[in-house]
This record gives sequence, C-alpha cells and structure tokens, in this order.
Amino acid sequence: MGKGIYVQELPGIGKRYDVDLGSNTQRISVVVRRDGNRDLYVFAAGKDDPVAVIEMSEEQARKVGALLAGTYFSE
Amino acid sequence: MHADLVGFGALVLIAGLLARAGRRINLPTVPFFMLAGILLGPGTPGPVLIAHPEDLSLLASLGLVLLLFHLGVEFPVDQVLGSGKRLFVAAGAYIGLNVGAGLVFGLALGWGGYEAFVIAGALGISSSAIVTKLLIEFRRLANAETPVILGIIVIEDLFLALYLALLSPLLSGAGSAGELALRIGLSFAYLVVLFAVARFGARLVGKVIDSNEDELLAILMVGLVVLVAGVSAEIGVSDAIGALMIGLVVARTPIRERVERLVLPLRDVFAAVFFLVFGLSIDVGDFGAVALPVLLAVLMTIVTNVLAGLIAGRLFGLNQRGAANVGLTVLGRGEFSLILATLAIAAGLDGRLGPFIALYVLILAVASPLLAANSRYLARIIPDRLLHSSWRYVREETISTACTHLDRIHITESDAEACPQCVESGDDWVQLRMCLTCGAVGCCSDSVNNHAEEHYRRTGHPLIRSLEEGEDWRYCYIDGALVREPMGATRE
Repeated sequence: MGKGIYVQELPGIGKRYDVDLGSNTQRISVVVRRDGNRDLYVFAAGKDDPVAVIEMSEEQARKVGALLAGTYFSE
Repeated sequence: MHADLVGFGALVLIAGLLARAGRRINLPTVPFFMLAGILLGPGTPGPVLIAHPEDLSLLASLGLVLLLFHLGVEFPVDQVLGSGKRLFVAAGAYIGLNVGAGLVFGLALGWGGYEAFVIAGALGISSSAIVTKLLIEFRRLANAETPVILGIIVIEDLFLALYLALLSPLLSGAGSAGELALRIGLSFAYLVVLFAVARFGARLVGKVIDSNEDELLAILMVGLVVLVAGVSAEIGVSDAIGALMIGLVVARTPIRERVERLVLPLRDVFAAVFFLVFGLSIDVGDFGAVALPVLLAVLMTIVTNVLAGLIAGRLFGLNQRGAANVGLTVLGRGEFSLILATLAIAAGLDGRLGPFIALYVLILAVASPLLAANSRYLARIIPDRLLHSSWRYVREETISTACTHLDRIHITESDAEACPQCVESGDDWVQLRMCLTCGAVGCCSDSVNNHAEEHYRRTGHPLIRSLEEGEDWRYCYIDGALVREPMGATRE
C-alpha cells in the first residue's frame, strides 16, 4: 500500500483505507464497499465520532476522485 | 397460477412503501415486507389483496433460493479464513449461547422437539443484512469492534448452512432413528460433494453458465441455481442449502463479480415476495396466544446477546462501549428466522411457530436499532472486572482502529512509578500516562498539572497509554479517541 495509507478488512462489506494526511486537525477514512459504493469518513481533531460521512456511488466517487486528482479541466 | 396481477402488484407496491417509510426512521426492511403480507392477507380483517397465498408459492421459493444463492456468492471466504482463531471463538460463543438458549427455551415451551430445533435457529441466528445496514447507518465502520461484529455474522452465515443441513432431514418426517441418521448422513455427504465441486469444479461450472452478454448470463445463472436447489430438495436436502452451496461454487469462478451484480436486483424483488408470502400465511388472531412466549424470547435474546458481546469484548480487549456495541448490534433477526419458520410450516410442525417467529422478528426489528444506538447507557453499567482490561476512565469512549499514527509507537512498557515533573514541583497526581513515542511519563488529565497532555503539546507525540495497574488502553491526542491496531493480518 502507498505510504501513509492503512488497510482494514471489513468482512462482508469491503475494505477501509485510513489515510494519514499528516494533519493534526483532520483525518479521513475511505470505505470501498464490494457493491462499489464508497463511504468517506471525515474526522476532526478531538472527536471519536466522525464529523461527516459522505456516501457516494461508484460514478460519483469517480467524479470527485478526478477532481481531487486534478485530471478534470473545465476550460 | 392465477393472473391476479392487480392484487399482487398492489401488495408489492404497498410493501415497498411501508418499508420506505420505515427506512426514514432507520428501521430494517424485512419485517415491513412481512407486515404488509400480514395486514393485507386472508388472516387479517380488512382488505385482502391475495386470498390464496399458495398461488405465489413458486415466486416465494424463488426468493428463498436467490437469497441464499446471493449469500453464497458474496461469502468472503478469504477474509474469514484470514481473520484468525480468536474470531472463531467469539463467533462460536455467540452461536453457542444464542442457539443453546433458544433450544432450551424451545424445549421449555413444550411445543415439541422438532419445534424446539426450529426455535433455536430462529432465535439464535442474526440477520446479516440488518446488522450490516446498522453499522453503515450508525457510522461505525471505523470502530474497533466493527470487524469483530462483521466476522461474527459472516461465521453465523456459515453456521446456517450446517444448521439447515441438520434441520432439513429432521423435518423430513423420517420414520425411525436409522432412517433419520441415514438422511442426516446423506445431507452432510451432499454438502461435502458440493464443497468438492466448489474446490475443484468451479472453473467448469463457470464455463457452463458464462456468457459475454449479461442477458444470457442472468438467465443461465437463474436456471442453474433453481435446478440445483430443486435437485437438492428432491434428494431430501433443503433447496436453501443447494442454493447456498452453488453460490459458494460460483463465488470461486472469474464471473463472480458479474453474477453478484446481476443477481442483486432479482434477489431483492423475489426475497421481498418471499417475506410477503410468509406474512400472508399469518393470522393476526394467533398473536395473542404467543405474545407472552415472544416477549420472554426477546428478553432472553437480549441477555444472551449482551453476554456474547462481553465474551467478544474480553477476547478482543474491547472496552465497555465496544462490548455493548457487539451485543446490541448483532441483535437484529430477519431473513434467516423467517426461512426457518417457512421450513417448519412446510413440514407441518406446530402452527404457533409462524406467528411466534413473525412477532419475534417484528419486535426485534424495532428494538435492535434503538438498543444499538443507545449502547453507551449499557456501557456505563458494565463492571470493569468482566472485561480483559480495566477501563474505568474510558468505558464509554469509542475505540477506533482508524488512527493513522500507530507508526509513531516506539516504546510500550515502562516501570516508572512517578510523574517526574510533579515530583520536582512537589505536586500530587492521580494516574500516570506514558508517551508511546519517547517513553516520557506524565500525569493524567484529572491531575492538577496534566503533564502528559503538556508533553504532547510540546513534542507532538500523539499517543499515550495508561500506566495504571491492569490498564493498557491507548489514546491518541490528535484523533481524540481510544485507539488500537486493526485486527487480522497487517499488510504492506
């Protein structure tokens, strides 16, 4: 796995990837479900419950992923 | 079959609407499909949409078959085998406690021996679908106990196959003990044959039904599954096992993912019909007579679940919150209980089993999300000595495995008995904490100086552990959560 990404198997659901952002205030985990859906868990410093969970279909995840990766240009 | 499309269509639509309304408040769907069948069936006063439920029996069996086929196809063999012995012990404890208590309860009811076996399974085996949805809805996928919960329900699915293999011959009405033994032997031999096919013949089976076109693959798949299920039923092993096993076979072929995707909508529709048809066979008038046993069964299930949660908590070093979450999340009962009820009705067992299991599933459907959501109140009252480690300060905290700072752990033990800074200034402290990065010892957040947190602010070292006798919990200042390593094998 890439540096700073940790995998946890979730039997029957899929895999969870914990991403080390190197940030002291936020961290994210991505759950890739076997049915293709993704859950993006966003944690803020000092809270054990996620501050936001965003559920995305495979298609939506691809769009957002392209934006995040910088491969999407509008003009 | 009568072409009573109006009644059938209206019934499925209403079931869907009811279930959708339930989903708004996070209730599971399965009980609502059943409820629609109960309310609009011939056994209940008021409008009757389907007067002859037996007309739908073929569709209902298709639902049962596809439900179990899908279970087999998506069974995560590798994840289960790679998860280690501890999980099997935890799952074994869960199954043993729940099914065992169910059996005793069934025998105590005095409805009969076979009836007790059905009750044991219906009370003991939880619904994977309900549990999985709860975990996603309650945003608990990053919790330390979640892989444990998922592991338990997956192993329960496996147990279901063995249980069905035992139950079907029992319910087949064998005349003598010898005949019964023969049928049970046959049933397990058939399981072994299908396991062998799964191991060695999967490629061939894959070739038989493979096609580049989704249309043909879907048709070939349904044909094969229904045929295997039917043959299984003919030789006295239930159609349910046949479907489950052929699912395991297909799971080992390269077409697995396509099959999984294609079968899902079919399964959803026909399984809903299966639950509906089961509901149609229920007479609400019978609920009164079974109400008391159902309430006792629900209470018993909650108790055995909490006990099993404590055992899992002990095995995996979870705190009160984690143990409570295990017990109260795995509480949902649904599809498997209804499958067992259907088998019992088909075998002509005591007529009270249907309404008993229906009411039981309905009550737990409402109770399990409520209880799981409020697990912290249970966590408050679980005494420390029941769990592996002492969690006095942190019993209600969520333990997370999603901490990405675990690689900052360099030192884990210390025999320090004092907070050096407090000693210097002559202050007192309550408890001691140790920095897991450099080993520095400081006092806890209840102490006047809170040197442990000050150390974190100064150095940025994120993780501490408790140095109290009998405590080994770890806390991450950055994440603000109790943390631990993920279970199972770590991979690079």
